[in-house]
Amino acid sequence: MVRFKHRYLLCEVVSDDPRCRLSLEDRVLGGLIRDTIARVHGTFGAASCSIGFAVRYLNAYTGIVLLRCRKEFYQLVCSALPFVTYLENKGHRYPCFLNTLHVGGTIRTCQKFLIRYNRRQLLILLQNCTDEGEREAIQKSVTRSCLLEERSDEEELSDNGGEEAAEAME
Amino acid sequence: MTHHSPVDPDVKEQSSSKIMFKKKGGWKAGPEGTSQEIPKYITASTFAQARAAEISAMLKAVTQKSSNSLVFQTLPRHMRRRAMSHNVKRLPRRLQEIAQKEAEKAVHQKKEHSKNKCHKARRCHKKRVLEFNRRQKKNIWLETHIWHAKRFHMVKKWGYCLGERPTVKSHRACYRAMTNCCLLQDLSYYCCLELKGKEEEILKALSPMCSVDAGLTFAAVHCLSGKRQGSVLLYRANKYPREMLGPVTFIWKCERTPGHTSESRQLWIWLHPTLKQDILEELKAACQCVEPIKSAVCIPSLLPTTSEEKSQTVLPDEKIGKKRKRKDDGENAKPVKKVIGDGTRDPCQPSSWISPATGIIISDLTMEMNRLRLIGPLSHSILTEALKAASVQTVREGEDTEKAPHHWWTETCKNPDSVSLHHRQEAIFELLGGITSPAEIPAGTILGLTVGDPRINLPQKRSKVLPNPEKCQDEKVRQLLLEGVPVDCAHSFVWNQAICKNVTENKISDQDLNRKRSELLVPGSQLVLGPQESRIPILLIQQPGKVTGDERRGWGSGWDVLLPKGWGMAFWIPFIYRGARVGGLKESVVHSQYKRSPDIPSDFPDCPAGVVFAEEQAKNLLEKYKRRPPAKRPNYVKLGTLAPFRYPWEQLSQEWELRVRAQEKSSGASSPSGEESDLRRDKLSCAPTPENTDPRSDEGGSSQSSSSKPRAGVATECPARLGTEWVAGQDATGSLPCVLRSRKWLKQLSTWCGPSSRDRWAARRAPGSGQPAPTRAACLSLLDHFPRALVWVSLALLRKGSPEPHSMICVPAEEDILQLRRDRLYCGPQEPKHSDPFKSEIRKQKEKKKVQKRQNQARAEPEGLAGAHPATGHPALTLGLWSGPLPVLTSHCSRVLLGFVTQGDFSMAVGGGEGLGFVSLTGLLDMLSGQAAAERGLVLLRAPASPQYRFARVAVEV
Repeated sequence: MVRFKHRYLLCEVVSDDPRCRLSLEDRVLGGLIRDTIARVHGTFGAASCSIGFAVRYLNAYTGIVLLRCRKEFYQLVCSALPFVTYLENKGHRYPCFLNTLHVGGTIRTCQKFLIRYNRRQLLILLQNCTDEGEREAIQKSVTRSCLLEERSDEEELSDNGGEEAAEAME
Repeated sequence: MTHHSPVDPDVKEQSSSKIMFKKKGGWKAGPEGTSQEIPKYITASTFAQARAAEISAMLKAVTQKSSNSLVFQTLPRHMRRRAMSHNVKRLPRRLQEIAQKEAEKAVHQKKEHSKNKCHKARRCHKKRVLEFNRRQKKNIWLETHIWHAKRFHMVKKWGYCLGERPTVKSHRACYRAMTNCCLLQDLSYYCCLELKGKEEEILKALSPMCSVDAGLTFAAVHCLSGKRQGSVLLYRANKYPREMLGPVTFIWKCERTPGHTSESRQLWIWLHPTLKQDILEELKAACQCVEPIKSAVCIPSLLPTTSEEKSQTVLPDEKIGKKRKRKDDGENAKPVKKVIGDGTRDPCQPSSWISPATGIIISDLTMEMNRLRLIGPLSHSILTEALKAASVQTVREGEDTEKAPHHWWTETCKNPDSVSLHHRQEAIFELLGGITSPAEIPAGTILGLTVGDPRINLPQKRSKVLPNPEKCQDEKVRQLLLEGVPVDCAHSFVWNQAICKNVTENKISDQDLNRKRSELLVPGSQLVLGPQESRIPILLIQQPGKVTGDERRGWGSGWDVLLPKGWGMAFWIPFIYRGARVGGLKESVVHSQYKRSPDIPSDFPDCPAGVVFAEEQAKNLLEKYKRRPPAKRPNYVKLGTLAPFRYPWEQLSQEWELRVRAQEKSSGASSPSGEESDLRRDKLSCAPTPENTDPRSDEGGSSQSSSSKPRAGVATECPARLGTEWVAGQDATGSLPCVLRSRKWLKQLSTWCGPSSRDRWAARRAPGSGQPAPTRAACLSLLDHFPRALVWVSLALLRKGSPEPHSMICVPAEEDILQLRRDRLYCGPQEPKHSDPFKSEIRKQKEKKKVQKRQNQARAEPEGLAGAHPATGHPALTLGLWSGPLPVLTSHCSRVLLGFVTQGDFSMAVGGGEGLGFVSLTGLLDMLSGQAAAERGLVLLRAPASPQYRFARVAVEV
C-alpha cells in the first residue's frame, strides 16, 4: 500500500518534581520539542521535522508520551530529544528530561511495547517493595491488569510472534 | 522509582479515571483539566495503578480491529490458506474469535443453493448431458461448444452460441497464425441448402437469381462439373442490380459416370445464417417448391432409434447393476442421448420441399454437417498429418456384412472401381503435404476423401507440424499444381445422406476408445481397431484467400473440411494437437478485412440482413454512447459528424445526383468536350448493350432503351430524365441502396482510380486506356445503368492514422492538393468547429421541465398531467447528437462527403492504416474527372470523433 511512513517515538518524561508530570499538555510538549529542534538543527531541521510531527498520546500520570514524525527525519527528532531539559507551563518551569523507550513504525507496535514495559515495571516495583500496605496495593493492580488481559485476549501479550500480524493489521 | 509516602487512595482512584477515551479506539489519555488538585507525593501504589490503567487501555486498543477489512484479509499473503474464507479453524487461533463474529454477520452468509441436488450429483455425466440438452434448446450449440466456452467469450448471435474472441490476448498471434502457420475456425454455423433434381431444371430456376454481369454463375463450367467450388451473388429473381439477397458459395456433386449426366444432380449452397431465411424463401419461389416432405433424414427420428439401440446394448450391464442401484429402473432406463446437430428445430417443421412441376427437391441441411476452416500455409501439413486415408477392408467369405456397423465401407471395398478411386484420392491427398501454400492450388478445388478415425493417431502432446519441402520437387506435385485435382477425385460419400447417418451413429465414443487404448498390451503403441474402426467420408474444399488487387494475392487461403455431424470434436482436437490456433468471429472479420473482401453481413448494405445488422449496430453504439456522461463523450454536432452510428447511404447517393445535376446546369449544355465525347460515348454505350443479357430487369431495360435510342440528345436529355427519376426515387426513400457489382464496370473504375505513378504495369495491362480520365460520356453511360449506386472501395492511408468504422470519406479541396504537392509531409486539413444548435434547446427543455415540476408541485395533478405532454411529445434530445432529419450530408462539412468506411483498422499485413467502405458512384466519378493524373484517387478520411482529415488513396479492386 502507498502511504506516508512514520516513526513513532515512545518516550517517558522523567522529573523529580511530581507537579511537572501533571502539568503535561500535548500542545505545550509539542511546542517545546519543536523549539528544541529549531535550536539544535536550525531552520532546516525545524522545517523538515514539522511535517507530520504530532504528539499522538500523552499520559499525565505515567508520563508516557508518543511522538510521531516522518520516517525520513526521525533521527533529527531523536537527536534533539536529549536537549529538552525543562518543561514550562503557565509560568512554572520544571526541570525534566525525556527518556526514549522505543522507536516503532506503527502505533500498534508501540502500544504492544508499552504493555510489556509497564508489566515489567510493575514486577520490578513489586520486588522492590518493602512496605506491606504498598505491596498489597501493587499486587491488586497487577492482578487487575492481568485479569483484564485474560478477559480480553490472553494471547496478545504472551505471543511475541504475533507482532508481525498485528502490524499488517495496522 | 519507589516513593514511600502516605496518600489517601481516593485521589488516585479519581486520577486514574482521568484518562480520557477520545475515539472508539479509546486509548487517548491526557489531563482533562488542571483544575483537579495536584498530589504532592507519588507513591508506589499510585504509580502501579496508573500503570495498570494504562495497560488496560492499551490492551483494549491493541485487541480492537482497526481496519474494516475481513480478518483473513489482514493476514499477510504467506499466512493465508485456501479454505480460510469459510473455515474458521484455518485461521491463526488468535483471530478465530473475531472471524467467527464476522462470519455470523448477514452480509457474509452463503447464498442458498438454487439447485436441490448436491454438487456431485449435478456434475454426474447423465445429469450434465440432460442439462446441456436443455440449454441448447434456445440457441444452437456447435459440437465444439464446450471446448469454446472454456476458452472464448461467447455471444448469442443468429440463433447460435458462438465464440467471439479468445479470452487470451491473441490478436497478433492469430494474425501470425493466418500468415505463417494455421488458424482453425469452426464454421459449422454456416447453413447448407441442398437442391436435387435435373441439371437443366435447376439451372433454369436459378438463372434469374444471379447475373453474368456480376461474375460467374451457377453454370460456370468448372463448377458445374463438380471440380471447383463457385461463389455467386444472389438477387431476387429478375431484380438485378437491385434487391440483393447475399453472397453464397456452392458446390455441385460431380457425376461419377459421365454417361447419364442430367439425370439427377445435387447442388449444395452454403450461406451465412443471416441470409438463410430470405434466400430459402426465394429459392422455394424460384423452383416452385411448395410441398413439404416428411423426410427420413429429419433429426428427431434419429433420436429414438439410437437410444433404443443403445439401451439394447446396455441391457446386460443393467441386470447386474440392478441390485445396487435400484433408483433408476423405471423410465430412466433409457440412456440419455446427446443432442447432435440442431437442438432448436421443431420436429414438425418440414426441412425439405418438393416441386411437383420440375421435380426439384430443396432440403435444409443446416447443422447436418460440420465445416471446419483452416487458414494459412501450414494447413496442408496439418491436414496430411492429422488425417490418414482409410484402409481398404477386405471381406472374408461367409461373414455377414449387413450387420456390421461399417458395412457401407465393406460394400464399397468390394467394388474395384471405388477402390481404385479411393487410392487415387489418397495419392493426391498425400501429395498435398508437399505444397507450400494452399494458394498454389486452383481456387475452389474440391477433393473428396474417406479417412480413418483421426483420434487413433493422436500425438501424446500438442506439437507443431513442420512442412516437408523435399516433397515439393516431386514431378507429381508439379503436375498436380498444373492440372489441378481431376474431376472424379472430387467424389465423396458425404453427399450420401444414408452413409453420413450411418457414420454418425456408429461413432465409437471417446470413453470406449480410451478403454481400448488402456487395454493395449504395450502401453502407448498404435491402436488397431481393424474392421471396428470408423471410416469418415470428408470433403476438402480449397478457399482462395485474397483474390482481388495486386499485392498479397492468395493471402489467407486455406482449406475447408466438411464432415458428417457428430464428428466435430473428433477432428477438432487432432487439428489443434498439430499446432493449429483457434480463432473466433472477430478473427473472421479480421481475415476478411485483410483480404479486402466484404464481410457478411455488415458489408452488404443492399441486402436485408445487412440492413438489420446496421440497425442493430446503430442501436448498440447509441446505447454505449449514452452511457457516458455528456462531458466525457465527443459532441458529434460540434465535430460536424451527422451520422456517427449509421450509414445514410440512400440520402448520400441522392444528394450526389442532385449535386452533379446542379453543376451541369450551371456549367450549361455548352460543355467544351461535348462533341468529342459524344463519339466516345457511342462506343462505350454500345458495348454494354449486347453483353448485358438481362432484359428481364424492368428498370434496366427501360433505361437501356431510353439511353440507346435518342443518342444525339443524350447530353441534354439525361439530366432531365434523371430528374424525373430523382423525384420518383424520393417517393421510395425506404428502398435499399444499390451497389455496383458489375465486373466490367468495376474493372473500368479501377483503371480510372489508379494513379499513373504507382503502378505503371497496370497501365500496360490495359493498353489503349493509358490512364484516361473518366470521360463524361463513359460516366454518363455508367450512371445510366446504375443510378444512385455505391461502390466498394479500399483505402490506404498515405501517412499516419488508421481509419475506424463510420469514418467519413471526403473529396479533397483544391488547396489541400496544392499544399500536399508543396509539402510531402502534410498531414491534412482540420475541420473547423461547428456550432451546436441543439445545446440551447436542450437547456430550454431542462428549464421547462424544472418549471413544470415546480408548477406541478404547486398545482393539482390533472394540470400537471397536461403540462407533461409537450415534454414527452418532443423527441428526447441527446447532447452531442443530431436530432431530427439530417440536413444536407455532402456539404455539411468543409470538405464534400463522398462515402463512409465500414471496416477499418491498422492492418498488420500492410503495416499501416487500411479501410474498406462504400462511396457514392456519382461522387466518385465526379471527383475522379476533376483530379489531375498524379493525384487521381486521393481522398480525405476523417474519423467521427476527430476534426483531423488525413489523406488516403482510393482503389477499386476487382
